Amino acid sequence: MTSTETRHTVHRFDDELNEIAKLVDQMGTIAVQQLRRAVKALKKEDPARAHKVIRRDRKLNNLDIEVDEKVIQLIARRAPVAKDLRQIIAVAKVVTDLERTGDEARKIAALCVRFHESDHHVPSDNILRDIYSMSKYVSVMLEVAMQAFSSLDIEKAFSVLLMDEELEIRFDSILRHLSTYVMEDARNVGHFVDIVLGIRALERFGGHAKNIAGHVIFLATANDVRHLDADEIRQLLDLEEE
Amino acid sequence: MTSVSTVIDSENRDEIAPVSAGDRDGPQDGFRETVGDIYHPRPRLTCRNVDVCYDNGAAHAIRNVSLDIGEMEVLAMIGPSGCGKSTFLRCLNRMNDTIDGCEVTGSIRLDGEEIYSKDLDVVPLRARVGMVFQKPNPFPKSIYENVAYGPRIHGLAANKAELDEVVESSLKRAALWGEVCDRLHQPGTGLSGGQQQRLCIARAIAVSPEVILMDEPCSALDPIATAKVEELIDELRKRYTIVIVTHSMQQAARVSQRTAYFHLGNLVEMDETDRIFTDPQHQLTEDYITGRFG
Repeated sequence: MTSTETRHTVHRFDDELNEIAKLVDQMGTIAVQQLRRAVKALKKEDPARAHKVIRRDRKLNNLDIEVDEKVIQLIARRAPVAKDLRQIIAVAKVVTDLERTGDEARKIAALCVRFHESDHHVPSDNILRDIYSMSKYVSVMLEVAMQAFSSLDIEKAFSVLLMDEELEIRFDSILRHLSTYVMEDARNVGHFVDIVLGIRALERFGGHAKNIAGHVIFLATANDVRHLDADEIRQLLDLEEE
Repeated sequence: MTSVSTVIDSENRDEIAPVSAGDRDGPQDGFRETVGDIYHPRPRLTCRNVDVCYDNGAAHAIRNVSLDIGEMEVLAMIGPSGCGKSTFLRCLNRMNDTIDGCEVTGSIRLDGEEIYSKDLDVVPLRARVGMVFQKPNPFPKSIYENVAYGPRIHGLAANKAELDEVVESSLKRAALWGEVCDRLHQPGTGLSGGQQQRLCIARAIAVSPEVILMDEPCSALDPIATAKVEELIDELRKRYTIVIVTHSMQQAARVSQRTAYFHLGNLVEMDETDRIFTDPQHQLTEDYITGRFG
């Protein structure tokens, strides 16, 4: 998140905005790491690693609170307007979404713990493959959304919205795919529920990345695109069709 | 000396289109033409291509400003010191007539009537377009006399009873009656700063103006007195058109429905206040209101 090009007359104001921006970047990095580490724990069948991910979620929670406090102080003391106001509102929303991506990553880590620390029959790699592929996809979504946030890149933000449309298609297709496992072998029913919950967590993870992309567009253009479809947004922002 | 270059044909008085500064003078310091919306669906004051020069043309204070000021609205005029906002405000009731070497050109009409017309008497004009200044300036007379003075010289009260009524209703509308009703014959200068400013507002509204001009009316007041004046402005808007010049962006955001941003004598942007303070269209406006000016 770059603050505006010209320095504020009160330099401390810019410093405060930059401090907040650094914390948001840090949260974005941790959120992506959390998901990757949770999936790695699942792949390596390593519940200790998964526990570490679960504990580390506190870090995101604490950063969420820290940024919120700074946002409240900045609003109270500086009374930001125009782009500064949009920036600070966008930050408050982005950190909420980032904190929630952390919750979704924690759910994946919890799956690993559930599979490997109970008497549960461990699901085959085959059935977990959808979680691996979807997690890769949604972590890229979040990375791109955070890059868009850092550089206020509307086109990049828009690409995340398009990725989310693709994500929804993938989500439906994975659900259909998983149901065939149950039909093939009824013993898979137990895993089916767990895996569906995992897939659902990843779908939400991607949804938060999409929300962040929407906040970037609001920050950069003052347009609220939350309830518009891709074509409407493209038209509104005058973006070229790919 | 004041002169008006555009003599308005009263039959066609709604047909003067504003000319863009860029078309006339070429781009100046990041400014080409006013962005936003200068028009109002129900204008009381219509200003077109207004230029103001001081020192017989040596200093160009207002450059080709066109805007409407609508009925029952508060228009805030903001901008850095020397941008021309107070100069422009003073054009609206011909206060600049009193400055030697000041020349106003263009057209300013109040309800369609050209206020710079040679035939127009400025005394009734200044009753119709009242003014409240930065520093409270009550007359060195009693509270009662401060308010009664205007109606008396304009012949707005037939007798003492009517005058009493005008004084009481004006002080009530200025939200001051409750604080002074038992000491109307004490000096106005004995009131607190905030009360004095509300007394000046009562004095302005006692002559039944249509428009009230306020030139930084709260800059000498503490936050409580400021809040009372702002509350009063909100109340007065139901009856009067108000134009307020303020250095406080927050005040402009709080009290006005539309905001005009001036820079180096140009009207850079004018729009709904909500829009100006959340999504200004001109970089100069954005830089100024976010504190990145200059």
